[in-house]
Amino acid sequence: MPEDPVVLPLAPITKVAGVTTGGAYELPVYPFVEPAELRGKIGRHAVVVVGAGLAGLTAACDLALHGVPVVVLDEDDTVGVRGASSRGICYAQKSLEIFKRLGIYERIAARGVSWSVGRTLAGSDEIFSFDLKSLPTFGASEQPPFINLQQFYIEWFLVDRIYELGTVDLRWKNRLIGCEQRRDAVVLHVETPAGHYELESQWVIDCSGSHSALRSILDVPVQTEHAVDRWCISDVRFRARPPAERWTWIRAPFNDGRAVWQHLMGDDVWRLDYQMAPDADPEQFSQPAVVADRLQRQFGAGVDYELVWVGPYSYRGQCLETFRVGRVFFAGDAAHVMSPFGARGGNSGIQDADNLVWKLAFVLEGKAPERLLDSYDAERRPAALQNIRITTRTTRFLSPQAQMERILREAVISLAREYAFARGFVNTGRLSSPSHYAESPLNVGPGGGRSVQNIALTLPDGKRGDLVDLLEYAAYRVLGLVTQPVDRYFAQELELLEQRYPVRFFRLQTAAVETSALPTVIDADEQLSAELGIAASCACLLRPDLHLAGSLDEAGAPDIEQALRKLLAQA
Amino acid sequence: MKTEPTLKSPDDFYERLLDAHRGLNADESAQLNARLILLLANQVGDDEVLAECITAAAKPFVR
Repeated sequence: MPEDPVVLPLAPITKVAGVTTGGAYELPVYPFVEPAELRGKIGRHAVVVVGAGLAGLTAACDLALHGVPVVVLDEDDTVGVRGASSRGICYAQKSLEIFKRLGIYERIAARGVSWSVGRTLAGSDEIFSFDLKSLPTFGASEQPPFINLQQFYIEWFLVDRIYELGTVDLRWKNRLIGCEQRRDAVVLHVETPAGHYELESQWVIDCSGSHSALRSILDVPVQTEHAVDRWCISDVRFRARPPAERWTWIRAPFNDGRAVWQHLMGDDVWRLDYQMAPDADPEQFSQPAVVADRLQRQFGAGVDYELVWVGPYSYRGQCLETFRVGRVFFAGDAAHVMSPFGARGGNSGIQDADNLVWKLAFVLEGKAPERLLDSYDAERRPAALQNIRITTRTTRFLSPQAQMERILREAVISLAREYAFARGFVNTGRLSSPSHYAESPLNVGPGGGRSVQNIALTLPDGKRGDLVDLLEYAAYRVLGLVTQPVDRYFAQELELLEQRYPVRFFRLQTAAVETSALPTVIDADEQLSAELGIAASCACLLRPDLHLAGSLDEAGAPDIEQALRKLLAQA
Repeated sequence: MKTEPTLKSPDDFYERLLDAHRGLNADESAQLNARLILLLANQVGDDEVLAECITAAAKPFVR
C-alpha cells in the first residue's frame, strides 16, 4: 500500500500549500547549536547515530533509556524528509509496542487512527476482507494491530521525547562527509554551518536512509532490483468522511483499471495512492486539476476536499550484503529498501533499532562481549531479505508484467468472488508482522527467536500493567520468567545470576496463591503463558526486544546460566 | 507426486476438458486453464506435491 512509500520520488515533491488553504503541515524547526568539538573539546563518544529518521530516532531514544550517551547527526533541521512531509503511514503492532517502551505510544494513539479491517475490491465488488483483531497473532497485545499516522508525527514525538529525556546530544544541520575506521574507534567528518569538525565514537549506527553517504564512503556492496511499477500519492482532507478502513482496489474503475489505496491518517487526512500507467507522465499525473478529476471519478462530482500533498514515486528492492562493517552498523533504509506494500519498510527499520540497541548497551556496560553485536547482522539481514521477498510477491501480483501473469491474476480475482480458497492468492500486501529469528545464534530453546506480544499482567508491585511495563520495572534487562516453584535456595542462585548477568528473574503465576522468594508476576487469564508457549515447570528467557530466547523445561540454575551465556554470546 | 494412473476413465476427463474449451478463443481458453489450475491446486492441497508438479510441467522448457 503504498502503506510505506519511502523511496525515489519521481518529480520534485509538491507541497501544495498555495493550492488549497490550510492543507500543508507546519513542521517544527530545530536550532543549530555549535558542537563542542568546534570549540576544541574532543572526547570519544560511545555511540553516534547518523540520521534522525524513524530508525535513528528510535535507536537514540532507546539508547537513552538504557543510559547510554548518544550523539545524533542530522543534515536537516526538521522532521520529515527534505520538505516531503508525507511518507510512511502505517505503524504495526510491534512498532507500537516499541513506542510504548520509548514513551510515545499514548501520543501516537491520540493523534493517529487505529484500524484492523481491510477490504480489497476489484471493479466495484469486494473480493476479500480481513479483521486483524480476530487473528491470535495480533489479538493479544495491549497495542492495536495498526495505527495510521503521518511519519513526521512519529519523528516529531520521538524528538520531543528525546528532549524530555535530556541525555541525547541531537545535532541538527550536521552533515556527515567522511569516515575512517580505526581498530578502537570510528572517526567521522562532519560539516556544519559553523564549520567542519571530526568526532570519534566507539560505535556508529547509520540510519541515514536509502542514499546513505556512509555506505558509499565505506564501499559496502548493495544488491538492487528496480521495479517498473509507479504510483502517485494524493493526501486529501474531505468534508464528508469515508470509513476508517484500509480499502484497496486491485482494479479501480476510477483509475483506468489500475490499483488504488485508501487509508485514513491523522488530522482527518486520507492517503489516496494511485497506480500509474507504465507510460504515464508523473508530473502531469500529479497536477492539481488531474488529481481533482480523479477524485471526482472516485467520490462523485460534488466531492468537497482540500489537497494536502501530492507526489509521484517508484520503488525498488535493495539490501546491503552486510549490516555491519567494523564499528559501523546499518539500519533502516540505509540497510534495506523494499516496495511499500504491507508497510514493511519503516516498521522494519524500527525493529532494526530495537534489535541492536540492547546488544550495544550490554556491550558498552561490559555485560556482554563485542561478539554479541554480530547477531545484529545474523538476525536482521535475514529479516530484511524476508521482507523484500514478501513485498516483491505483492508487487508481482499488483503489477503483472507478462501476459500469463495477467491471466493468472484474472483467474484469482474471478475465483475469489465465489470461492474462499482463492482469496488467499489475492495479494495487496502482507501486512508487517514481527520478524521471527528462527536461525538466531542467540536462541536457547523451544520458541527461540519468536516475538512476544505485549500481554497485560499484574506487576510485582501489584499494579496492572503489561510486558513492556515489566521490562521497564526490570531496567531493560533480560526477563527470566520462572513457572516452577522457587524455594529459598533456588532464589539465592538466581540472585547470583542477576549479579553476574543482565537479567531479572520473576515468578510467573496465574494467581497470587503461593508466596514466592522471587518478585511475582500474575498472569491471571494465562494469556502470557499461552503466548510464550510454556509449560508449568520451566524458565523462560525473554530478550529486551521482547523476542523469546527460549524456554527451558525443569531447568536448574546451571542450565539457566548456560542459556544466559549463549544469549549474551559468551558461550 | 503420483505418476501412476489414478483416473478411472482418462477418456472421460479428457473429453470434458476439451468440451469446456470448445468455442472459446485463445484468451478465454487461457483463462479457463488458469482457473482450473488454481481450483485443482486447492484440491491437491500439498505444497510439496504441487512444487514437484510445477517442476515436472516446466521440464521441457528448462534452459
